[in-house]
Amino acid sequence: MNETPLILVVDDEAHILHVVSLKLQNAGYRVVTASDGEDGLAKAVEHQPDLVITDYQMPFMTGLELCTKLKEHEQTRTVPAVMLTARGFSLASESLDRTNITTVLSKPFSPREILARVQELTDPHRQETRAKGTV
Amino acid sequence: MSVLKWLSVVIALLSAVVVTGLLLLTTGRAGTPIAVGYPTIALIAAGLGLLPGIVLWLVAASYEAELRRTITCTEALEEDGPPQLFRSCFGFGPLLEAHQRTVETLGSRLKRMADQRLDLEVELRVAEGRRQHLEAILNSISDAVIVTDAFNEAVLANEAAAHLLQFDLDPALRQPIEHIVADPTLVKLIKDTRESSYAGSRGRRRHIEHRMGCNGRVTVYDVTLTCVASSPTGANTNRADGSGPFLDVGAGVITILRDITREKEIAEMKSEFVSSVSHELRTPLASIKAYMEMLIDGEAADEQTQAEFYHIIQAETTRLSRLIDNILNLSRIESGVVRVQRKQIALAPVVKEAVDIMQPQGRAKQITLEERPCLAAVQVLADRDMILQVLLNLMGNAVKYTRAGGHITVVLSADENERLARIAVIDTGVGVPQPDLPHLFEKFYRVVSHRKLAEGTGLGLNLVKHVVESVHGGSVSVTSEIGKGSAFTFALPMAENG
Repeated sequence: MNETPLILVVDDEAHILHVVSLKLQNAGYRVVTASDGEDGLAKAVEHQPDLVITDYQMPFMTGLELCTKLKEHEQTRTVPAVMLTARGFSLASESLDRTNITTVLSKPFSPREILARVQELTDPHRQETRAKGTV
Repeated sequence: MSVLKWLSVVIALLSAVVVTGLLLLTTGRAGTPIAVGYPTIALIAAGLGLLPGIVLWLVAASYEAELRRTITCTEALEEDGPPQLFRSCFGFGPLLEAHQRTVETLGSRLKRMADQRLDLEVELRVAEGRRQHLEAILNSISDAVIVTDAFNEAVLANEAAAHLLQFDLDPALRQPIEHIVADPTLVKLIKDTRESSYAGSRGRRRHIEHRMGCNGRVTVYDVTLTCVASSPTGANTNRADGSGPFLDVGAGVITILRDITREKEIAEMKSEFVSSVSHELRTPLASIKAYMEMLIDGEAADEQTQAEFYHIIQAETTRLSRLIDNILNLSRIESGVVRVQRKQIALAPVVKEAVDIMQPQGRAKQITLEERPCLAAVQVLADRDMILQVLLNLMGNAVKYTRAGGHITVVLSADENERLARIAVIDTGVGVPQPDLPHLFEKFYRVVSHRKLAEGTGLGLNLVKHVVESVHGGSVSVTSEIGKGSAFTFALPMAENG
């Protein structure tokens, strides 16, 4: 297993993608980005990241649909996810149950908070509970 | 000749024969010599015999004359002539007086009846007028109204009800409700309300939201059911023996159906709008907050990165204020309080400015943005800021609904014949489904299949329409093909010397 966790960031807003990536890269993480759900799914399968950070509202596929597909996919079914949402509603728990979303952060968010969650979720002790086969 | 006169003739003849006969028999049997001869005796006897007949004839003639006079007087009375009373030997005077009284009594009664009839005719006319008035009121109500009686038969309905439930107004009257209302739930509601009147809920209103399939689409109705009683108090009438309530035949149910489909849609649109506005406001705000925090935390390594962050914060602040402007402008234009600053302006520089503003957004999505200006200097009398906003809204939509690698072209042209300046924003985007096209410019309207593609408030195009048509007297139009792209065009009247 590689020492530096790989984070996949998915958002259709280029500025958000940029700022989140930069924050994580500055903290020493490796980052892969995608600008929509379909691209996100392809990259997740390809790179098998340690964590996915995704926006909720995106073209073609919502963040929720992406996370549901990730859990259904053999190679990504244990990857935890952090959801960012700008919509003013909370997601139904039954929808979340079909995903590995552990945290939902509402926009506007704090990059510090994202980093804290990422550090928490990519903690090596937690990694042990995950299935083998990550990058 | 009357019977009495014939009778007097018969009596005269008979009595003459009898008297003559008796006299001859008497003289013949006695054998007494007499001074006069038989013929003389017979003549005298016949004369004596005729006398009562003659008297009776005279009496009969007199009676008949009085009777005729009485009839004439009675007829005069009937014809409302003056009473011609006379002294009658046969007692016809009191009879005539009695007739006169009867005629007078009958006359006054007839007059009273005629007056009453007149009153009734007036009342009937007034009632008919009121009925027509009420019918006109009932028919002017756009909500469907049906009145049913104690036997659940429709006794009154308006045109809206007939149109909605598709029955003929007149023949439907006095028909069981289930014959004219096809929806079983509604029939059950009406019957239940009718039955509940016995349980003391008379006069109480029930509001029920009911969905009905009509002409292939589902319509939502607010159904108001009111149970009415024939007695003004509306109290239950119980049998004297306490065995239960009477069937109050005058009681019934008034059912009013109000179509609230549009209200429901607007409520949903507004809810969707609030959610969308929240997303639209939070997205640039998220960038601003994140980049600010990065700057504060010293995460921008060099001056170039810092400058890039400042630019992003500035661009996102502009985006935020543009959205707020959109919302406020729309509300101002709708309420008519917007201040329009119309000046003669050239359109080409406005188009160029709009393209320049949108370039960064286009580049971020790898979309090419270009302008194709008109060779002639096209001038219009318009509010420059408003026209710029129209262009930004149209181009913003084009960027949203065009995939990476697409093109957006803004074409400015002049129609010298119609004196119109046209600006078309043409994209190679996803296109708009044909059924959505007529609704695109409606407030809060969003194409269902586009909701997943991008966020939006459903205000942008509505604002475009308001600015172009209401404020500038122009026109907007759209053509689109799925998978090929869309072209949004607006035309403005050219300035006189433009």
